[in-house]
Amino acid sequence: MEDLEGKKILVIQTHGVETPTRTYSPLFYAMAAAAMEMEVMVWFTMNGTNQLKKGEAEKVQLVKDSNVNLKTMLEMAMDSDVELRVCQQSLELWAMKPEDLIDGVEILGATSIIDLALSYDHVMYF
Amino acid sequence: MAHEKINSCVIVKDLYYAVEDNTWLKVNEDGTVTLGMTDIAQSMAGPILHARTKSAGTARKKGRPIATVESGKWVGPVKSPVTGEIVEVNEGLAGDAQLINRSPYKDGWVVKMKPENLDAELQEMVTGNDAVNAYKEKIERDGIQACQHIEGSDAYD
Repeated sequence: MEDLEGKKILVIQTHGVETPTRTYSPLFYAMAAAAMEMEVMVWFTMNGTNQLKKGEAEKVQLVKDSNVNLKTMLEMAMDSDVELRVCQQSLELWAMKPEDLIDGVEILGATSIIDLALSYDHVMYF
Repeated sequence: MAHEKINSCVIVKDLYYAVEDNTWLKVNEDGTVTLGMTDIAQSMAGPILHARTKSAGTARKKGRPIATVESGKWVGPVKSPVTGEIVEVNEGLAGDAQLINRSPYKDGWVVKMKPENLDAELQEMVTGNDAVNAYKEKIERDGIQACQHIEGSDAYD
C-alpha cells in the first residue's frame, strides 16, 4: 500500500448542529487521516460554525445512551492532532464572538482558506 | 500463558506493556519483537472493521504508528513501543481484522519488528505483576468498563 505519511488533507465542514447525522463523519475521516500520519485540518464555515459555540456540541448525540457526543468527537479530533479552524466571517452568521468558541479552535479569514486549499494535497468538502 | 483478569480484561503476564498506549510486546528468540493491541484496546475499539498495517521494511521511531485501526465507533493508530524496522506484518488482518478482537495476544498480533534499542526501551514498559498492577490503576483511574469479547474469542476462560 502507498505510504501516505506526510500528505495534507483539508476537510471543510459546512453542516452544523441542526443536522446531527452530517456532523460526525467529517471528524471521523479527519481522525483516520491523522492516524495515518497525515497533516489534517478541519475548516468550519457556514452552518458548520455553530457546533463550535460553547455548550452546543454536547447536545448532539447520534447514538442514544452512548458516552460519545459531538463535543467528545471534537475533543478526540484535537487529541489526534487534527487542527480545527473556523471562518472568521461565519462567526457573524451565528452572532458568535471569539470568546464563544470552544477551546482549541483558531480563527482564520477567507483568504486563508484559499491559500490552504491550494497548498494541501487534497480537499474534502462536506 | 500465565494471565490475570482485571474487570474481565486479560493481562498476559509474560508480555511487556506500554500501558498508556495499550500495546504489548513479546521478545522473540531471533531478536525480533512481536507487537499488538491489548485486550482492553480491542474492547474499547469494539468490533474492528479494518486494520491497515505499515509495510515490512518501514523504519519506525518509538511512538509512531505501526498500524491504523478502525471500528464503527473509533479510529486511531497503534503506536510502536520501540524504535526499529518492521520486518513482518500479520497478513491475516487484511482479510479478517477481527482477529484482533478474538485473539489480541496471539493470532491478532500486528507486526514484528527488529528493535534498535530494546534493552533501554523495555525499561520503560511493565511486565508480570507490575503490568497487572499498572492496569488495575489505569482501569480505575480512566473508568474503563468491563472488557467485552466477541464470539470466538480466546479470552482464556
